[in-house]
Amino acid sequence: MADAKPRMLDGYKVLDFTQVLAGPTTTRYLAEMGAEIIKIEISARGDIARQVPVIRDGRSGYYVQQNRGKKSLAVDPKKPAGLAIIKALIPKMDVLVENYSPGTIARIGLDYPTVKALNPKIVMCSISTFGQAGPLADRPGYDFIGCAYSGVLSMLGDPDRTPVLPQVGIGDITTGVHALSAILAALLHRERSGIGQYVETSLLDCYFSYQDLTVQTVSLSDGKVLPRRSGSHHFALTPLGVFRGKKHPIMVMSSAEHQFPDLCRAMGKPELATDPRFKDNPARTANSAELKRIVQEWFDSVSDEEALQQMEENRVPHAPVLAVEEAMAHPHHRGRGIVQTINDRFLGTFDVPGFPLRFSEYPEKREMEAPLLGEHNAEILRDYLGYDATRVRQLEENGVLYHGDR
Amino acid sequence: MAAPIPMLEGYKVLDFTQVLAGPTTTRYLAEMGAEVIKVEIAPNGDISRGVPFIRDGRSAYYIQQNRGKRSLCLDPKKPAGLALLKELVPKVDVLVQNFAPGVIERLGLGYEVVRALNPKIVMCSISSLGRTGPLADRPGYDYIGAAYSGVLDMTGFIDRPPVFPQVGIGDISTGVHAMGAILAALLYRERTGKGQHVETSLLDCYFSYHEANVQLLSASHGAMQPKRAGSHHYLVCPAGIFNGKRNPVLIIAGIDHQFPYLCRAMGQPELAIDPRFKDLPSRAKNAAELIALVQAWIDSLPSDDELFRLLEENRVPHAPVLTVEQAMNHPHLRERGTVRTIHDRQFGDFDAPTFPLRFSEYPEPLDLTAPTLGEHNAEILHDYLGYDATRVRQLEESGVLHHGEH
Repeated sequence: MADAKPRMLDGYKVLDFTQVLAGPTTTRYLAEMGAEIIKIEISARGDIARQVPVIRDGRSGYYVQQNRGKKSLAVDPKKPAGLAIIKALIPKMDVLVENYSPGTIARIGLDYPTVKALNPKIVMCSISTFGQAGPLADRPGYDFIGCAYSGVLSMLGDPDRTPVLPQVGIGDITTGVHALSAILAALLHRERSGIGQYVETSLLDCYFSYQDLTVQTVSLSDGKVLPRRSGSHHFALTPLGVFRGKKHPIMVMSSAEHQFPDLCRAMGKPELATDPRFKDNPARTANSAELKRIVQEWFDSVSDEEALQQMEENRVPHAPVLAVEEAMAHPHHRGRGIVQTINDRFLGTFDVPGFPLRFSEYPEKREMEAPLLGEHNAEILRDYLGYDATRVRQLEENGVLYHGDR
Repeated sequence: MAAPIPMLEGYKVLDFTQVLAGPTTTRYLAEMGAEVIKVEIAPNGDISRGVPFIRDGRSAYYIQQNRGKRSLCLDPKKPAGLALLKELVPKVDVLVQNFAPGVIERLGLGYEVVRALNPKIVMCSISSLGRTGPLADRPGYDYIGAAYSGVLDMTGFIDRPPVFPQVGIGDISTGVHAMGAILAALLYRERTGKGQHVETSLLDCYFSYHEANVQLLSASHGAMQPKRAGSHHYLVCPAGIFNGKRNPVLIIAGIDHQFPYLCRAMGQPELAIDPRFKDLPSRAKNAAELIALVQAWIDSLPSDDELFRLLEENRVPHAPVLTVEQAMNHPHLRERGTVRTIHDRQFGDFDAPTFPLRFSEYPEPLDLTAPTLGEHNAEILHDYLGYDATRVRQLEESGVLHHGEH
């Protein structure tokens, strides 16, 4: 293959202290775009994600999915020689990312003022559950905990049961993408001004920001209209939600005034469009139980194919609710690389989601591997700091550097 | 001290987006100081101007999504309207659109045309399912992307259809992905002088949130099948939502080193070595039993405060599942400005989420307003194209330009 042209972020160097999911999303997307990622793993076990299933032959599929394209430097910053290595690397970096609980990176000796003194142009990014300061900042944090405090979790589920968990890492991953954007904006700013920055985001800030309607609903009604979870259907727009089909649940969106008559025609009940109970969205929402019952009865009375065909012909926005394995097998998703097959030296081939950003200058994805623990210790110390093999070996023997075989 | 020049000052964005996903991208660019020209199609402009709450003709939904933009309202199907847009293209850095695939091309502004007018432009397209592929021509909305991604199928109880997200998490997070792509492309342009067409979709982003499901199914060759599991994580136990007396309570204690802390909090340390619950696989197998035990313990306590005290003391990660209004009133969110008050000159004041990215050089948010329809017609045409008042008036009289009160 001819020399590939330099990738979009070729030449950018990232010192990556992140673990598990939110921060690793940020840095793996930077890797997808060509940045060099030095993944700092500070203990003998490395990133906790190395322990998360599916594990085969000691190698974690979860870890592989989140860490392709990174180089691993496994070093103990509690040892003076280890911290010295990190501090010697910082002036050579463009970005530093971390997602420890607030205070941790400072205790390691790498708070922003220290990092900035070593490299004023660096962009340092912190991701946390609650933010770096505030009454909740020191609480243990996870994706769903940020979700719980944001009000969003209370909105998921049925009114007569406890809320439901998203079952996907949507908080962590989207927060990671927010951090990615903040870093890129700061790098753009740095191109023009020469100034570095400290940028920050949190699970809580991001989850809370997803509320396009609920927050203003509370505010504008002076607390009289309180959004509550309403199961499979939108709490304020009707009909908009998930009905039971015979093979799949079926998502139907017909709440706008110009859409509802199309659904009525699809059901063979055009008269419903002018029925006073359903004549506009407020009326439909007030009578939602009844309307949902009518629509569900229609679904119950026809095959899925017939229902989908009628909605198609009458231009009713709808979708089958695909199970994960169906999505993975769908020719659309396969063809566009939304699901891609990767190859890991230990796990072999398996499927993971594709990189969701597409660039006309870079239609081909990068070939990348997830590193073994400390796989690049010698290479990084040689290339960046001029350490020879003997010095590296001494550091390993003194427990300053770690390495593993997975 | 004078405020620093906003981070993206000088960057100009031609914004064709509507409703939520695209407008998120462009309002965040506006928050960082970019100049955003919101192109609205006459006569009604952005559909979201009609979305409740509406007071005196002004929509709070529209305001929340469009602060900081300038409105240019025109009819692009009139030759003079399209000509005007083509004159603007060379003067902007970014063009963003979230029309259904094919629409922008039919308007006469596909990427090839745009690039010919301005080779350095970064054009960004956001769609529901992607611009190509078997599903590309389907009507596009947030939840349709969710349905096709397998994510929707994972949320809810197994004995009921999946539940509806109730918040615009898909649209907004996809908007942030698009922003990341635009910023990366602008950075690339700084170094190479080249523009690009960048793209993402609801489906791409939603599918990328499968941090475990896809890999689990694939690497286990179908042996592990993710299914919706209601209020509790489908693999890890205990990790889920229990019934508290005031609020539901999220408890995360499913990992092997966390579980004994919960057992101690419960006053039943022996559970940690009980053969039914001694490790992750056995807890997953006996999840129903374990969940019932934990719920029984919670029910036995006199109050939620006592529950939190015990969980706190034993370092068990947990959170009250706050309602939207509880989150809005929480001192942590208020203090950090996660919830902020928007002042709109027509609508008045209401609360909304804040810009979730924080920059050390820019601690104060910009004071932004959402434009009335076509508010900046004259100003934009004058500043960018040198049109005088007469010419603008002629364009309004011939229906090329349009404006409204709100």
